[in-house]
Amino acid sequence: MAPLNSTKPDDPQVLVEEKLSARILTLNRPKQLNALSFQMISQLLDLFIAYEEDSNVKLVILKGKGRAFCAGGDVSSVVRDIGAGSWRLGANFFWKEFTLNYIMATYRKPQVSILNGIVMGGGAGVSIHGRFRVATENSVFAMPETALGLFPDVGASYYLSRLPGFFGEYVGLTGTRLDGAEMLACGLATHFVPSERLSLLEEALCKVDSSDPAIISAVIDKYSQQPYMKEQSAYHRLNVIDRCFSRRTVEEIISSLEKETLNKKDDWISATLQSLKGASPTSLKISLRSIRQGRLQGVGQCLVREYRMVCHVMQGKLSRDFFEGCRAILLDKDKNPKWEPSKLEFVSDRMVDSYFSKVDDEGWEDLKFPARSNLHVYAIAKL
Amino acid sequence: MEQQITRRTQVLTNHLLLHGEPTSLSAAPPLSSNSCLNYSPPDLNEPFSFNPTDMRVYLDSHNIPDRDWLFGLITQSRLFNPKQRGQKVFFSPDYNQSMEQQREMTMKRILYLLEKGVFQGWLTERNPDAELRKFALLEVVGIFDHSLAIKLGVHFFLWGGAIQFFGTKRHHDKWLRDTENYVVKGCFAMTELGHGSNVRGIETVTTYDSNTGEFVINTPCESAQKYWIGGAANHATHTIVFSQLNINGENQGVHALIAQIRDADGNVCPNIRIADCGHKIGLNGVDNGKIWFDNVRIPRENLLNSVADVSPDGQYLSAIKDPDQRFAAFLAPLTSGRITISASAIYTSKIGLAIAIRYSLTRRAFSVTPNGPEVLLLDYPSHQRRLLPLLAKTYAMSFGGNYLKQIYVKRTPESNKIIHVLSSAFKATFTWHNMRNLQECREACGGQGLKTENLVGHLKGEFDVQSTFEGDNNVLMQQVSKALLAVYIAAKKSNKPFKGFGLEHMNNPCPVIPSRLTSSTLRCSKFQTDAFFLRERDLLNRFAAEVSQFQAQGESKEYAFILSYQLAEDLGRAYSERELLQTFIQTEATVPAGSLKDVLALLRSMYALICLEEDAAFLRYGYLSMDNAAAVRKEVTKLCSELRPHALALVTSFGIPDAFLSPIAFNWIDANAWASV
Repeated sequence: MAPLNSTKPDDPQVLVEEKLSARILTLNRPKQLNALSFQMISQLLDLFIAYEEDSNVKLVILKGKGRAFCAGGDVSSVVRDIGAGSWRLGANFFWKEFTLNYIMATYRKPQVSILNGIVMGGGAGVSIHGRFRVATENSVFAMPETALGLFPDVGASYYLSRLPGFFGEYVGLTGTRLDGAEMLACGLATHFVPSERLSLLEEALCKVDSSDPAIISAVIDKYSQQPYMKEQSAYHRLNVIDRCFSRRTVEEIISSLEKETLNKKDDWISATLQSLKGASPTSLKISLRSIRQGRLQGVGQCLVREYRMVCHVMQGKLSRDFFEGCRAILLDKDKNPKWEPSKLEFVSDRMVDSYFSKVDDEGWEDLKFPARSNLHVYAIAKL
Repeated sequence: MEQQITRRTQVLTNHLLLHGEPTSLSAAPPLSSNSCLNYSPPDLNEPFSFNPTDMRVYLDSHNIPDRDWLFGLITQSRLFNPKQRGQKVFFSPDYNQSMEQQREMTMKRILYLLEKGVFQGWLTERNPDAELRKFALLEVVGIFDHSLAIKLGVHFFLWGGAIQFFGTKRHHDKWLRDTENYVVKGCFAMTELGHGSNVRGIETVTTYDSNTGEFVINTPCESAQKYWIGGAANHATHTIVFSQLNINGENQGVHALIAQIRDADGNVCPNIRIADCGHKIGLNGVDNGKIWFDNVRIPRENLLNSVADVSPDGQYLSAIKDPDQRFAAFLAPLTSGRITISASAIYTSKIGLAIAIRYSLTRRAFSVTPNGPEVLLLDYPSHQRRLLPLLAKTYAMSFGGNYLKQIYVKRTPESNKIIHVLSSAFKATFTWHNMRNLQECREACGGQGLKTENLVGHLKGEFDVQSTFEGDNNVLMQQVSKALLAVYIAAKKSNKPFKGFGLEHMNNPCPVIPSRLTSSTLRCSKFQTDAFFLRERDLLNRFAAEVSQFQAQGESKEYAFILSYQLAEDLGRAYSERELLQTFIQTEATVPAGSLKDVLALLRSMYALICLEEDAAFLRYGYLSMDNAAAVRKEVTKLCSELRPHALALVTSFGIPDAFLSPIAFNWIDANAWASV
């Protein structure tokens, strides 16, 4: 039924299982921590579109093979593509990926994502937009893009900005890691299920034979438990986060954090400051603006904006930080990127503005989504 | 030009045919027969021909990230009264609270915004960027609640502005930082029971006691009580007092002084009496009060002395000898007030239109064929004619308001007069437009418009005051005409070309309107500008002639002016509309070719033509023949149907977040369902 990848039929990148009215999709690139290749994204997109129309399918389960759910988009292959030819090849990757994110965010049938391991960047994009997100004691969530010279994309400006208070600014700018308990507390996850119960949960879900969110939620509830929130969790620091990450600019966020440590040493604040100071200054500024616009926009508008931004990043005219970040973190692995501009004060408002404008390139277009028929408008409001 | 128009028409026709919603009733698609109405979100079936975030850049024009930051701060706090309606949450004050409760909520919201650093630099930074940021943030506050914006406006722009403009270093050092941090809460006591727009007639009297080095302020009679003083009834600790200054028995005219009216605990100071102005038709979150001064003594240093001072031994000193000029110098802070009011009127119009147009894209009424589907409100040409010209005017005023802000923040002593005249004209024009717009939007929403939570009706009460405060609209418009007449007289006297207020077109040959107006001529900016020039030119000539005729009959210049009020009104309007058309054309010129520019051209034509249709002067004085007037009317209808497919994109471009609109702008079935009760 679904078009499977043709190059290595014996080793498909997405495994498909049909269980009555449920479909289990398994991301199957464990060595690469299930990083999303263009092929995987295309396949997922085709499957999701087909399942939405297929009345035999009532529920889609998405999970990862091995110790990761999905560590993100396959960035190094995108960089390779850009190196080999036009940046537009890279842009195509994101066009497809963001379209998939949009389809999931506006999906008519419930998607249950089993987040038993690493969920980062693009991995969050293929799960958080779905109706149910099941965290476990193995979950590690992060949007680490600012350290890579990128920004939280895949619709993150939509879901991060909808976290309590200014927690989303904190998560998006610092790239901090959240565990399953924290994901549940802030709403990134809808349930917490200990990993040992996952196979039972999956079995139960396959028998549900319903698309009713209330029924599915009740089934997952049966296997859920209230996780223990570690003492040093950032979630206990919401007051400081709200005080500091609500400031108008990145500079003010940093200076307000510094003020907090004037009187007493605080490891958590020091670590937070360290991540902010290590990140690309340009990335921090465009990320903050993107999250703040996202708070006021629908998921579609968020993805259209992020697509503009990511095209500017891939085009590399405004800044080369993304390529430098990939070099330092993914290729040379010296973990010492040389950002340009090197300091926040050198990144002017005008430079930041440019990321949000149309891309000046022959034939370039804003992201356009496939028509969504019979869509309930609140298919969108999942978070 | 001709070619451009043809191309544009082509583009639009294609757009209509390929993507547009049916614009004629007969083409309405059949509805599937539902036993019950379904809400269908317009966002999913009204395609955009341009990206609204790009259009928003032209409308908001500056500090967009700062605006979004503040919208975000508001939506992250329970103080701003979030209310769930269906699946959506809306932020709007609870207008059903008592006046006292509303006032306390307003103060609490101010303290929250203070803590978040929103007012940082509002008084301590003085440069165009800081000033524009302040304007942007105040506009956002006004989108949430007029009371909140006014309470801030009084504190920062009137009290703070008076200290900035009338005070000198000693006042700046002492008061500005404390004002920015709300250590002191200021108000501005200018208006009296007996005198409003005529500030020079106020009756409060201040004398100087050289024995103690103090000024003594008095309210000599009941009509001299300070009236409508925002902040005075509950919260203000200090006030600017406008008063006649009487030194050694000689009246030196109106001056401004600082007086404390409450102590830090909120107790009214000795020799001050304060009463409440009571419940109002709107703005009940602002504590307007009345103040009487009974021999209130204040230190000599409290005279705001940038224009004039009194020495310790009681000598009056002023660099400006002419009392008229001295007085004019005192009115500077009111200019910024008129600019913020103009902007706020535009944003309120946008709220009304976004709600009414979104509703009209989801609400259906009546079928045109038996058992046929009901028709969307906005697919009725009559509904388009009611709302879309107002939309075009609101766009025109956005661009005009941006221009006004720009020349204000870059002001020089030479530009003060122009800013005064333009801000007067725009304040009057925009606030009148706002009230008419809200009324039309209210009616366009039918019964739903009557619910307070749907805003459009309630906002009429909240914003009605705009046509009165910071200068009565009619008085302001008369001042505009007076200023134009002065230019006219100066030019004629010296036999030199017209200069200033955009009147340079008077030096050109009189424009000629073609005897037969085709559609493409009507949409051409050259024709539109010519028509506006012709009207302004003729009205100015007529006005000057009438005033001088009355003078020839022996009337004083002042009285001749008063008698010519009809032409003065017409001229003020002609000036204002011509300025708006010109700023629209200037904005359009900065937009790169493409669908966004094409839509702006449609809006500009709509703006120009609706002005031609609505102002009787065009027919009264024969600038348009009856045939031409009929052609204009027909073209307006055509423009309505061409703008119809862009209606949703055009209101989305306003950039007002969903949470600041109202339930009828979204899924009103869901919001009203039993499950939501």
